Amino acid sequence: MRARTLARAAIAAAALVTLSGCAGWGISTGGSGSTVTLTYALWDPHEQIGYQASIDEFEKLHPDIKVNIENVPYGSYEQKITAEFITGGAPDLFWVNTPWLGTFVKDGILTNIAPLIKANHIDMSQYYPQLVALHSRNGAIYGLPKDWDTIAIYYNKNYFKKIGLQVPSNLSWSANGTGSFVNFLKQATTDTSGHNALSPQFDPGKVATYALGVYNDPQSGWGNYVAELGGKIIPYPYAPVTSLNTAAFQQGMSFLTDTLTNDHVIVPGAETGPNANGNNLLTLFTQGKVAMWEAGDWNTTTVKGTVSFPVGVTTLPIGPDGRVSVFNGLIDGLNSHTTHPKQAWELEQWLGSAASQKILGAGGYVWPAIKSLDPLFQQYWAKQGIDMSAFLTEAHGQVVNFPVSSGMGAALTQIANDLGPAWLGSTSVSSALKQASNDANYALKTGN
Amino acid sequence: MSVAAATPAIGKHKAPAVTADTERRRKIRTAFTFLAPSLVGVVLFLVIPVILVIILSLAQWNLLTPIKWVGFSNYANIFRYDQFGHSLIVTAYYVLLNIPVQTVVALGLALLLNNKLRGSAFVRVVAVLPFLATPVAMSVVWTWFFDPTNGIVNQLLAHVGITGPAWLSDSATAMPIVAFANIWQYAGYNMLFFLAGLQGIPPSLYEAASIDGAGRVAQFRRVTLPLLRPALLFVLVTGVIGSFQVFDTAYVLTDGGPGNATTVANLNIYNTAFQGFRIGEASAMSVILFLVILVITVAQFTYFNRRTTYEIA
Amino acid sequence: MASVASVASSAASTPASTARTAPGPRRGLLRTGYYLVLLIIVIVFITPYLFSLFAAFKPLGDILAQSPARPPTSPTWANFKEIFTQDDFARYLGNTLMVTVILTAGQVIFSMMGAYAFARMDFPGRDALFWMYLATLMVPNVVTLVPMYVMFAKAGLLNTYWAIFLPYVLGVPQAVFLMRQNFMTIPKEVMEAARLDGCSESRILWRIVVPISKPIIITATLLAFVFGWNNFLWPLIVTNSNSLNVLSVGTANLNSNFADQWNLVLAASLVALIPMVILFAVFQKHIVRSISLTGINR
Repeated sequence: MRARTLARAAIAAAALVTLSGCAGWGISTGGSGSTVTLTYALWDPHEQIGYQASIDEFEKLHPDIKVNIENVPYGSYEQKITAEFITGGAPDLFWVNTPWLGTFVKDGILTNIAPLIKANHIDMSQYYPQLVALHSRNGAIYGLPKDWDTIAIYYNKNYFKKIGLQVPSNLSWSANGTGSFVNFLKQATTDTSGHNALSPQFDPGKVATYALGVYNDPQSGWGNYVAELGGKIIPYPYAPVTSLNTAAFQQGMSFLTDTLTNDHVIVPGAETGPNANGNNLLTLFTQGKVAMWEAGDWNTTTVKGTVSFPVGVTTLPIGPDGRVSVFNGLIDGLNSHTTHPKQAWELEQWLGSAASQKILGAGGYVWPAIKSLDPLFQQYWAKQGIDMSAFLTEAHGQVVNFPVSSGMGAALTQIANDLGPAWLGSTSVSSALKQASNDANYALKTGN
Repeated sequence: MSVAAATPAIGKHKAPAVTADTERRRKIRTAFTFLAPSLVGVVLFLVIPVILVIILSLAQWNLLTPIKWVGFSNYANIFRYDQFGHSLIVTAYYVLLNIPVQTVVALGLALLLNNKLRGSAFVRVVAVLPFLATPVAMSVVWTWFFDPTNGIVNQLLAHVGITGPAWLSDSATAMPIVAFANIWQYAGYNMLFFLAGLQGIPPSLYEAASIDGAGRVAQFRRVTLPLLRPALLFVLVTGVIGSFQVFDTAYVLTDGGPGNATTVANLNIYNTAFQGFRIGEASAMSVILFLVILVITVAQFTYFNRRTTYEIA
Repeated sequence: MASVASVASSAASTPASTARTAPGPRRGLLRTGYYLVLLIIVIVFITPYLFSLFAAFKPLGDILAQSPARPPTSPTWANFKEIFTQDDFARYLGNTLMVTVILTAGQVIFSMMGAYAFARMDFPGRDALFWMYLATLMVPNVVTLVPMYVMFAKAGLLNTYWAIFLPYVLGVPQAVFLMRQNFMTIPKEVMEAARLDGCSESRILWRIVVPISKPIIITATLLAFVFGWNNFLWPLIVTNSNSLNVLSVGTANLNSNFADQWNLVLAASLVALIPMVILFAVFQKHIVRSISLTGINR
């Protein structure tokens, strides 16, 4: 009896083994002839539509290359790509965001395409120079810039019409809490009885609409204010330590966590989300509980689809060092262990080219990295009723690149965790910065 | 074997010795052939990894870049920066919630069901069934059971007018739920060991005790408990060793949350090694956890052995 | 530990109705109360299975609107259809079945061979090697996780089916210990007689020892199968491609991606749980009787 059951089990197992395919057993099935299939990983489902359109064009021009787009959720993106690289199955091309750029470079996951750029005479001056600098290191460059983003302030046009206030674009602030910016914010904050924060009858316990939603984020939040005081998260790209414990940081953070919070003109840290991470701000903005939302331009599609009022965009306020915004851009990383380097480079070239970026810009998916194509994106959104010129003004003005270093992602997580209590009012900014500095330095050390 | 018998008497001095020797060598070879697969398995997947994890704990490595040797600094850093101390405390909390309750429930079930009624036989079987459940799948069911709005627990509480908490998002209730899942799954399994223990106690001992005037409670304390000690030791030791390594339920039910209220040691090791790709630090954590389990197991054995010898004496 | 095993095995081999078990409550009221308690115990252990069984056959709307205790008003296979066709659960089921069968076959056969060698064969270093096996029993699984991952990574075996079963398929000390204790109870004379008759060790093992030891071998097989089927952490870290997922990993992924779609998520759980329930129903006597013979940790 047992022999028979054993035999049956063996046959079933054998059947399953044959059905399971060769890949799982580590047997490569060799080439399937002439067509090469590339895997391309990204995370944003909105932009994916635009990229699919661009790739359809690419496949028409290259009939021997097929591209499969793989959507990997942002939350586990860095870990998934790294794990796949370790097991030898990472995508041929994949989006790289700056927090992981330094780590990927150090781990050798990305191909240095500088020699390929030279061999193909690609004109790098067509791109924003800050993007080229962001993705270069010691003469190597790790991807063709394909998009850029920066931070500005979305505002609720209906609300400002209601309170009879114009939204100026040249407000200024200083570290001691004075300036036209603070004054404007007070005018724009109203309590349930209609008094704004300048009025003596203003009731801070009954705020109906806060003027501004700004939060605990190095890119969309305090990063800009600290930059406008000359502060830097790391002293230079690929630095092994942070420079958080500086007066600029102290003053920049205090301006938000103490001054503006105590003036009741910004949404209290605890209400923006866990650790003051701003997760709730879109909802509050939609509900009209906050009049202005400081955020990155990649949120435009979501904003348009969620709010029911006309939206305007204004520039960030001007600080002691001028108006500075945090500037960032993605690249398509070329897997250094790809089995199809030639075809992968073709795709990389295409996505960095004007032909592809025209499709993505004109479709309103993302600001193209090629400077001359910016108007396409701006025109798309103008037709949708949103004036995006504030972002352009900032991009053409003073910008500071998103910090890049090995272990930056982990360091930024630590910084956010440690600064949270300062936003919630349970620690002082100086002790939060000290803790953040220690933890972030450790993260950079182990990432380096 | 029968070669010796078949060989003719020629060269009688030499033949048996050579045969016996080859015989012996052949036997040893057969033995090692039988032993080979499991021996390879043990060496490759148990002995070498233990040595390797100690070596790796002295390094910083992410599998992609060259290894960096850092001495014992990982051991300090996992406590300072990776909240491993907190993980150990949280794990100990889990063990303290899980093991005493589970042991009492298992013993209670065994005492309750140790009779000849047909109902008892059926319930004994039902109680053991959960032991086979896939912990991950069962945790999904528990997530549903304890859902604040759709779960049956809060719905039942609502019937009696109580608003149930958000069981898995409240740091006060999250860990107890994780413990509950484990108790539910293994109480019946442990009950079997106590049943076996109970059935090994001669009824004459109880008779003698009651003749001496001991009531039911006294009989339980003086006869049952001491003689259940081997079963108790087994259940406690295996339970503690297993509980210190809990992962599946914590991962699916709470993923270490809320905050890091349920980030048990094994989960921290997983996050450090396979999300952060910090092999060295994760290895140091594994070594510490190993030592903790070892010390506690030895302590349990010494405690029980001492008491048992005392009883016999 | 040895005393537990001996006590347990003696209890296991005697029928349940010995004089050592109490006759149970006699007076009517006490007996009703007793059965009430039993009912509560049954409810506690059965309802998770029962309610998830109900829910797996309900559409999501019904799960949210009705009480979980209510059987499905119009049972539907739609949830299972969806997870099998759109969420690849057919593949996960196949993967789990294949990997578990391979793991079980290898583990039982090779452990059995090792157990026999330790129990009834003479060779130098036998006791020392057995102590080494015993020592490794003390090693918690978590300690070997990271180094084994590193070993498999460097051997290029990550993200393959091999990785899922290899650490367990060559035999494990628990199974070797379990069967060795059992084989030791077979009188030496049986082996000696067979050897004198000209039987090879292999024949002795397969023709004589195995048939006598069926209960313990079935136990070892069941334990190996259950372990392989329920294993989660190792397959989780060692596979990356979704096509290699086993049921436990697939269920966890589905749960995190579709957390509020209870109909799908509970149907997926059932796919993992039901085979174990069937296994239990078929082998229940075996499991209950011989589980006390094991020294296996969970």
